[in-house]
Amino acid sequence: MNLLNNFSKNKTEDSLQPSRRKFLIGAVNSALVMAFAPLTMSLTASASEVIKQNGFSPSIWFEINTLGEITVHVARCEMGQHVGTALAQIVAEELGANWDDIRVEHASSDPKWGFVMTGGSWSVFQMYKPLSQAGAAGRITLIEAGAKLLGVAPKSCDLKDSKVISGNKSVTFAEIIKQGKFDRTFTPEEMNKLPIKSPDKRHTIGFDRLALDVPPKTNGKAVYGIDVELEGMVYARPIIPPTRYGSKVLSVDDSNAKQIKGYLGYEILKDQSNWIEGWVSVIAESYHSAIKASDAIKVSYKSGDTTNVSEQDIIEEGRKLVNTKSAGVLFVNDGDIDKAFDSAASTLDATYITHTAMHFQMEPLNALAEFKDGVWHIHCGNQSHSLTLPAVAKALGVSDDSVIVHQYYLGGGFGRRAYGDYAIPAALTAKQYGKPVKLIFTRPDDAKFDQARSASVQKVSAAINDKNELVGYEHNISAGWPTLSMAPGFMPKGIDNTGNFDPFSTSGSDHWYTIANNRVRTINNPLAQKTFTPGWLRSVGPGWISFGAESFIDEVAHELKKDPVEMRLAMLDGKGKNSGHHPQSVHGAKRLKFVLENCKKAANWGQKLPKNEGLGIATSFGQEREMPTWIACAAHVAVNPTSGEITVKKIFMTIDCGTVVHPDSALAQIEGSILWGVSLALHEGTEVRDGNYVATNFHNYTPLRMNNMPEMDINFVESKEFPVGLGEPGVIAVAPAIANAVFNATGIRLRELPMKPEHIRQQSKQA
Amino acid sequence: MIEFNLNGKAVRIDAPDDTPLLWVIRDEFGLKGTKFGCGIAMCGACTVHLDGAAVRSCSMPISMAQGKNVSTIEGFEGKHPLQEAWIEEQVPQCGYCQSGQIMQAATLLEQNGSPTDEEISAHMSANICRCMAYPRIKKAIKSAAEKSNSAVNVYDPASSVEG
Repeated sequence: MNLLNNFSKNKTEDSLQPSRRKFLIGAVNSALVMAFAPLTMSLTASASEVIKQNGFSPSIWFEINTLGEITVHVARCEMGQHVGTALAQIVAEELGANWDDIRVEHASSDPKWGFVMTGGSWSVFQMYKPLSQAGAAGRITLIEAGAKLLGVAPKSCDLKDSKVISGNKSVTFAEIIKQGKFDRTFTPEEMNKLPIKSPDKRHTIGFDRLALDVPPKTNGKAVYGIDVELEGMVYARPIIPPTRYGSKVLSVDDSNAKQIKGYLGYEILKDQSNWIEGWVSVIAESYHSAIKASDAIKVSYKSGDTTNVSEQDIIEEGRKLVNTKSAGVLFVNDGDIDKAFDSAASTLDATYITHTAMHFQMEPLNALAEFKDGVWHIHCGNQSHSLTLPAVAKALGVSDDSVIVHQYYLGGGFGRRAYGDYAIPAALTAKQYGKPVKLIFTRPDDAKFDQARSASVQKVSAAINDKNELVGYEHNISAGWPTLSMAPGFMPKGIDNTGNFDPFSTSGSDHWYTIANNRVRTINNPLAQKTFTPGWLRSVGPGWISFGAESFIDEVAHELKKDPVEMRLAMLDGKGKNSGHHPQSVHGAKRLKFVLENCKKAANWGQKLPKNEGLGIATSFGQEREMPTWIACAAHVAVNPTSGEITVKKIFMTIDCGTVVHPDSALAQIEGSILWGVSLALHEGTEVRDGNYVATNFHNYTPLRMNNMPEMDINFVESKEFPVGLGEPGVIAVAPAIANAVFNATGIRLRELPMKPEHIRQQSKQA
Repeated sequence: MIEFNLNGKAVRIDAPDDTPLLWVIRDEFGLKGTKFGCGIAMCGACTVHLDGAAVRSCSMPISMAQGKNVSTIEGFEGKHPLQEAWIEEQVPQCGYCQSGQIMQAATLLEQNGSPTDEEISAHMSANICRCMAYPRIKKAIKSAAEKSNSAVNVYDPASSVEG
């Protein structure tokens, strides 16, 4: 399964895959423009003419002007990962460009970019090859033009410091652009054959550059969606109904709001897609007035049928499902699992629960919508134009081509801004009220409309043979499925053809341990699905599935009286399906073995620790088998036996993500994601009560703060292999490493996330 | 009509008394560097200085700014040692909370030129960074403190008189 391909293949092919398009290099308005054009585009004219005639219709990947400034157009959003910097580094590498000459522009919505989603930890993995090749095509073109100007053979030339150099002669890019003529086309076949710089010659990839988005984020100048204003706009705040789906407004009484200065009125929103039902939007001259007026308005509803649903109901449903034979969809089926269990000398099973977890990104949801000259303009930070734009168009009842989504910095994404449904109430209010509308969710509104990580239940079972070996491993997983609600067309079929499943609620169970008989079933929890919109939360499925998988491997090791690290190492033999393939998973499980051995050493595994302290270890392979980020994590914890409080003293992590394009950003992502892992393991989590999330604001949803920060020891493997993803994978192994450490410290096995002091206290009492 | 100084400039505003200072700064005076995060003084994204003290502007009615000095991130004009340290240490990820973090950190350095790790943690735990760039926030504060201290050592006229 390749999630990435699966995500893109459903869209128009030509616009998607750079490998299927012609690459054009031409001079337009005295700049050198490098663009991809669909194969279908007629190329009877020269490359320059095509680019000129079509304006910016082919996707312009980068351009160089007569000042020598190189602008890289990035069809990815900036939400903290400094992705623009890393992607620009890939281009700069091939071009031999001076970093000071590099600029980045973030593209707004346009179908020409193909399917765009900043998520899944995909950006560098996905763009590395096409950007390198585009840069290589630029390099060839510049060398040809530069050689001509220098009167030398192209073969004698190299690129360095934004210059074409031959012996002691050189000419700058700026000079070349001023004097050169450019008209080149590369076919997909030619592009594929272009030589990419060998790793030992790199001058930009693998070196630190100051991230381009950092300075404006230190002086208040960075513009986020919430900062955008338009002439003549009004403010709005939504009143969100009592149930996520199926509510209907019966009446609205705004008599008390009328005395509020600046109050302009309300709209009962009419969503043609029915994504939001029973919403009222309150309009005012200022946001403060909109908040006050909405608090003063009384709305009566006919509620949907989930008003009584609780967390416990959802979990009980999940428990039932994971214990129902043949429920859900078959995802892994190696060997003969039934036979393994029938002939087992002993068996072991355990059930793991993770509770509802939320995004609480710092910038509350918001969008500004304006209808101008027949086009809807939506201004908001979002992770995916490709998911957001059609959702807004459908809600408005207009075609996709009459909506443009304008991109800004995101005050956090973490998956909440992938399906930008928060733009829907803004657009509908603007449509019904007839003015540009800036609609902002208060923090409690944002929380109420969150797409939470669904509560989950997993049951894992092991069959042990008479030689004390793990020979059968069965994993049943159940949760609400984000992809089912927000992108159902992207759900692949299970291997038994019984239905489709959400890969983002399943991946992580297809581990790289060699176990002869292995079965995984993935099961949707329909009660979660109808009570709220399950969401993609940073590290998605692997973020909670690995808690079950990696805790259970530890449980099996203890049961078999084996060292949990040694047992894992023995199963990471890189044989059969775990041998990996070129380029992204080359060497397969052996790379996971390598990071585990490295982490074992770093953490001084086996050292004697004081009473009530313990080390625990876990591994992860990132977001998906087809893009494995090899990680081992060790947690050193101290548990207070009386209060049950768990303190994470130190986290050790070893990461092999192939080539590291931008080391400092890579480190920042791992630092942040380790802390996310600790936070989700110990500090976050909420529950569903009366059909809504209990958490409403930062007083009752409490992500980790600086005073809870553990020490961190982070090691990257030096590698020249294909780069994979890094935005999420660091989260995954932290929770099971902590749970395994708690067991080693206390003998208490925690099978629930978040792990709470009362869980320790309850189990100590029972013991 | 409420009058106060905003980044050293006298301003006046006709807004309901209970309007949070945050919205006045952002939407009336267009200084968007101060951010809305929670509305209940729990996250620190809206931190500004009121007569030199770090306050949460989302929960501070405009009436309380009457006659006072309010300064925001824009008032530092990119010249505060913390801002330089923030770039050097590459602190921001999404960056949304960072104006508030810098404003909060600035009041720590005002009171304590060489804070310990614990003192930094205690002071900065009032602010949430959802990207959890905490290790770098801490590092940047320490490095700004060290640089300011060495600057004082070099340029302090009193010490050169004594020396």
